[in-house]
Amino acid sequence: MTAPSTTRPPRPAAPGTPPGADGVVLGDGTTARSRAGARWRRVRWLVVVAVVLGIGALAAILPAPTRSSTALAPDNPRGNGAMALAQVLGDQGVRVDYVRTAGAAVEAAEAGRTLLVTSDWFLTDEQMDAVAGTRADLVLLDPYLLLDRVVPGLTTGWSGGQQPGALDASCTDPDAEAAGSISATGAGVTPTGAEPPAGTTLCFPLPGSSPQAYLFSVSEVDDRRVTVVGDAGLITNDRITDAGNAALALRALGRTPDLVWYVPSADDLALDAGTGPGLGDLLPPTARALLLQALVVVLALAVWRARRLGRVVAERLPVVVRPAETTRGRARLYRTSRSYGHAAAALRAGTAARLARRLGVPASAGAPEVVAAVARAGRRDETDVRDLLYGPPPTSDAGLEHLARRLDQLESEVHPT
Amino acid sequence: MAITWRAVALTAVGALPVALWPVPGTVLAWAVLCALLCVVDAVLAASPRAVAIRREVTGAVRLHEPARSRLTLTHTGARRLRALVRDAWQPSAGAAQNRHRVDLPPGESRRLDTALRPSRRGDLHADRVTIRSLGPLGLAARQASIDVPGTQRVLPEFASRRHLPSRLARLREMDGRAAVQVRGQGTEFDSLREYVIGDDVRSIDWRASARRADVVVRTWRPERDRRVLIVLDTSRTSAARTGEEPRLEPSVEAALLLAALAARAGDRVELLAYDRTVRARVAGASGPRLMPAIADALADVEPSLVEADWPGIVAQVQERLSQRALVVLLSALDPAAVENGLLRVVDQLASRHQVVLASVQDPEVERLRTGREDVSALFDAAAAERTGLERAAVAVRLRSHGVEVVDALPEDLAPRLADTYLALKAAGRL
Repeated sequence: MTAPSTTRPPRPAAPGTPPGADGVVLGDGTTARSRAGARWRRVRWLVVVAVVLGIGALAAILPAPTRSSTALAPDNPRGNGAMALAQVLGDQGVRVDYVRTAGAAVEAAEAGRTLLVTSDWFLTDEQMDAVAGTRADLVLLDPYLLLDRVVPGLTTGWSGGQQPGALDASCTDPDAEAAGSISATGAGVTPTGAEPPAGTTLCFPLPGSSPQAYLFSVSEVDDRRVTVVGDAGLITNDRITDAGNAALALRALGRTPDLVWYVPSADDLALDAGTGPGLGDLLPPTARALLLQALVVVLALAVWRARRLGRVVAERLPVVVRPAETTRGRARLYRTSRSYGHAAAALRAGTAARLARRLGVPASAGAPEVVAAVARAGRRDETDVRDLLYGPPPTSDAGLEHLARRLDQLESEVHPT
Repeated sequence: MAITWRAVALTAVGALPVALWPVPGTVLAWAVLCALLCVVDAVLAASPRAVAIRREVTGAVRLHEPARSRLTLTHTGARRLRALVRDAWQPSAGAAQNRHRVDLPPGESRRLDTALRPSRRGDLHADRVTIRSLGPLGLAARQASIDVPGTQRVLPEFASRRHLPSRLARLREMDGRAAVQVRGQGTEFDSLREYVIGDDVRSIDWRASARRADVVVRTWRPERDRRVLIVLDTSRTSAARTGEEPRLEPSVEAALLLAALAARAGDRVELLAYDRTVRARVAGASGPRLMPAIADALADVEPSLVEADWPGIVAQVQERLSQRALVVLLSALDPAAVENGLLRVVDQLASRHQVVLASVQDPEVERLRTGREDVSALFDAAAAERTGLERAAVAVRLRSHGVEVVDALPEDLAPRLADTYLALKAAGRL
C-alpha cells in the first residue's frame, strides 16, 4: 500500500519504465519483491519507533510499583513505613487489603474484618461518619475527631513531639498484658467524664499527665471492638521492634483473618469516588459489544476512505504580485499622516490634466491657460475655477470630501465647445 | 491494496452476530473474518501491473479549448480485470472526469478518453495512471500507479483575434486609399494610371505621359515589407497581476494580434521574448507559418522574477535589425522600472527605429481612482491619481525621445496596439 504523496508535475519520462517504441507502458518496473523491499525501507523507521514506544509502554505497565514511600503504608520498607508489620501479619495468615480511599475502605470493611485507620487528619466529616458506621472492628492510630464518633466518652489530645518512653500496661486487657511494656509517646486517650465509658479498658497510662491519659484503649461498642493506639509511630519499621510494640500491634491487628489497611490520602475528598457504577456498568452487555463492533466499522470506513486513487498532483502556480499594492501603500501613507495637501494636489492635478486634454490645452501650457480654458468651457468664473484647481489645500476630512465633490462636478460640467 | 464500500458493509453486517452473542470475542472473530475475506479477494484480483497502457494526446490546442487524453489499456494478465482507472493530470489541465470503470477480459483492449480543458498555457504534463483492480467479491482491490508520460501543449488563447477582421478592413481601406498620390516617406511606387480630374497635378508622370497619348499619373502605396520586431519583456514587471492573470497575458494577446495584422499587411514580423536571456524567438517565418510559429514560441513563456536587462534587449535588437524597423516593446510603464531601465537605453533604439512601448494598466488602480465612498477611498483615489500622473509623466518623457506609448487596460491593449500600428503605417512612419 503506497502512502498518498504530493508531488510536483512529473518528469517527462518515468525513470523505471521507459515506454516502448510504440509508447506502451507495461507495469511500473517493480516486482513483488522490490515493492516489499521499498515498503520495508519506507516504514522501517516507523517500525523502530513503534517498537521502542511499545517497549516503553510495557515497561510502564508491567512492574507495578510494589513499594511506596507513603508513611505507615504496608508496602513502605523505609523507617516511616509499616512493611515489617504487614509482612509478619501476612505470614501469620492475615490477609492485608491496602486501600487509600474512604470509599474503598468502607466497602471492604465488612463485619468480621478489622479496619485499620492510620490517621484521621485527611478525612472529611462524611468520610468519618462512613468509617464510624462500618461493622468491622476498628483499630485507630492516633485518632483525633474520629474517636468521638466511634466511642462516645473518649477523646485524645495533640500528640507527638516527645521521645518515646517505656510504658507499662497496668491493666487487665490480654493484649496489653501480653505486650507488657511498650515504647511509645503521645497525648493519649482520656475519658471525657470521670469514668471511662462502659466496656472500655484503658491501658499504658502516660506518666505525668493530668487528667490521666492512656496510650491504648479497647472498647466494646455496638458489638464491635474498637482499639485505639495513641501513637501511630508505634507500628513503623523503626520502632516496631522496640519493647513490646510488635506484640501489641500484632495482637491488635491480627484478631481477624482479614485486615483492611486504610491510609487516608489528602486528595480523596469524595466518599463514593470510583465505587459507584460507571457508564460502562450501566450499559447492557449487548450495547457494549455493539459499540465495539461500531468502532470496528468506523475503522473499516476510515481505511476505505483513506486510500487514494493515486497521489495528489500539485502544480507550480505563477507568483501573485499585485501592482496596485504600491498605490494602496501610498494611499495608506497619505491617510496615516493625514496629508490632505498631497491628496488634494493629486486629485486636482488629475482633474486638471484630464480637463486640459479634453479641451485641447497643450501639455506645456501653464496654470492660467488651463484655468481660462476651463472657465470658458464650463461657463464659470475664472477665480472660482482657479480657486478650485489651484486654491489652498483642505485641512480636514470634510474639506477633502468637499473638494473631491466639486472637482467631480467641474469635470462633469466641462465639455469642449 | 484498498478496500471498497462492500468491505465496510460486510463489517457492519457483523452487528447481527454480535447482537446474538454479545461478547468481545464475536467482534474480534468477525473482524478477522472480514480481514481474511478482503485479503483473499485482493489476492484473487487481476494484477494491475499486467496492463499495457498507451497514451495518446491531442496536438497543440488553444487555451480554454477542449483537448483529449486517450489511454489504450491492453490486458495481458490471465484473470478478468475489473478496475477503476484514474488518468491523473496536473490541475490546470482541467481533467474533470478522469476516472473510468473498466471490465476487461484477458487479452482485450479498451480505450479510455479523458476530456481536458486546459486553463493554463504551456506544456501540461500527465501524472500517473492509477489502476485499482477489484477482486471477484468486490471487497478489496489491488492498486498500482504507473508513469505513462504525456504532454499536452497549450497555445495562447488569442482571444484578441476577434479584433482582427475590423483591423484588416481598416488595412484594406488604407491600401485602397493607397492611391496616396504624394510621394513621401513610407510609401513606395505602386502603378501608373490615367489622370482623372481631381488628381494632384504634381503626381503627373510627364515622361510616361509623353510616351502615351494620355496624361498619366503615378500612384503610391504604403510601403510593404517593413520589418516589425515585437519584444516581449518577461521580467518581474510582467509577473504583476492585472485582474485575474499576470500582465504577460494581455501582452501575449497584443503580440499575437499585432503579428497577425502586420503579417497580413505584408510586413516581416519577428518576435523576441527576453528578460535577462532569450526566452523565445521567432525569426524568418512568414506567410502561413508565422502565426503557428509565434503561438508555439509563446506557449510556454512565463514571467520570471528577475530584473529586465535593457542593454541586453537593445543589443539583441541591434543584432537582429540592420535597417529601420518598428520595434514594439511589450513591457510595463512602471515609472521606477522605466527610469532605471528603458530610459537609459531608449535613445540607442529610437535613433534608428520607430519604437512603440505598449503597457498594461492595472484596472484596480483605475477602480481606486474613481472611488468616492469615504475619506479613505478619497486617499486611495488621490494615490491612484498620483500613480496615473507619474505614468503620464514617464510617457511624456518617452515621447520626447520619440517613443510611441500605448497604455491601456488589459482587454484594450491588443486593439489599441493594432490601431497604433495602423496609424503609424498610414502616416508612413514605419
